[in-house]
Amino acid sequence: MAHLFIAGLGSGGFAVLDLVAREPEVDLLTLVDPDLYQSHNVHRHFFPASEVGRAKTDLAVEWVRRFRPGLRVEVFPCRIEDIGCAVALGEAVGACDVGICAVDSEVGKYHFDSLFRRAAKPWVMGEVLSGGIAGWVHAFEPGGACFGCVCRALQRDPTPADAVDYSQPYGTFPETSVPASRASISAIASIHALVALERMRGRAAEFTSLLLSLARVPGAFERAFEPTRWQMTRIDDCLICRELTAIPADRVDADLEAALDRLGERSV
Amino acid sequence: MSLLDSENGKRRLLGIEIPGIEHYNIGRDPAFRIRLRKLEGGLILSYALKPGNNVHELETRLGANYPVDAPLTRVVSRLELSPHQFPGQVLCMWRQTSKRNTHKWDPSRFTAIFAVQATWRWLACYELWMSSGQWPIPDAGV
Repeated sequence: MAHLFIAGLGSGGFAVLDLVAREPEVDLLTLVDPDLYQSHNVHRHFFPASEVGRAKTDLAVEWVRRFRPGLRVEVFPCRIEDIGCAVALGEAVGACDVGICAVDSEVGKYHFDSLFRRAAKPWVMGEVLSGGIAGWVHAFEPGGACFGCVCRALQRDPTPADAVDYSQPYGTFPETSVPASRASISAIASIHALVALERMRGRAAEFTSLLLSLARVPGAFERAFEPTRWQMTRIDDCLICRELTAIPADRVDADLEAALDRLGERSV
Repeated sequence: MSLLDSENGKRRLLGIEIPGIEHYNIGRDPAFRIRLRKLEGGLILSYALKPGNNVHELETRLGANYPVDAPLTRVVSRLELSPHQFPGQVLCMWRQTSKRNTHKWDPSRFTAIFAVQATWRWLACYELWMSSGQWPIPDAGV
């Protein structure tokens, strides 16, 4: 029996949830998402407008129990990076078999990576490019390349730079991405779910990153439905996952206190 | 698990950040050295920079979720209201919509000292803006 940890219940994450929760080996799900269902979610989600305003985690529990009434589900209606939930999320990650990351913020992805590296657990992430022209599935293994290594290796900048109105730094700014179709999201979610289920069964993906074009886009993708795979290793100078084991474990606290004392306010 | 509570956070500080800060302080006038204090699971770096005519007192906060979360820098001494500045004299330096290799915080490559250097650059831009009315780098804070 298996325990899956899923963060992000947007249109992609929910589609993955729907697929993996149907597998009989899955007997426990941990679901993390802070958001309420909103009117702009309706056309790409599973629920009608009458459900607007409800927590996505609550909707998810009701959904999976329609076809798996006995499935155990624990929910965290918070962000993956929420410091107030860090201990409980860390425990849930430590107890799970595979992580499924479908959060949409870069910070959230780094936090997911941090939690799973600390627990030495495998995890899988899916992303659909703007307009649904292609999608990524990334598979991370304990001791392998971290999310930071992958971003650097792919020279990946998922969000284009845009002009910002600095006279209103907290104001809204127009979305630059083109929404993807439900079909594109479902295609990538299916691969995301398959890779996660295979890993749950002990079979690691034969790639770190898989890019699948979903449309022909001159200058970007010459053909639709063409996969490209990358197998990556850790980058030696990555500041996130490099081994920092030179200091023995029983010296860490004392050395840190000594360093903070040396550099403390009274040292000047 | 915050920066100061977790094994990873402590090792990041001991293996990367603190050696960098100590190297930065070597031979530097005491008034311009970086000092540290704990705050709510993270650290505050207090220091001064003089990119042009003025000395600016600063604080850079490495929060509980550092290095995943970008450091936050505010100018303690008085600033004029300028572009690229948030309320509380917090500097706009790491736009999440910016390019990773230029203006976006990258925890796999950047350190607290990089943030201090970026702050120096922001302040140099600020001083040029004070004298000319033009921010010299148009599309981002650093």
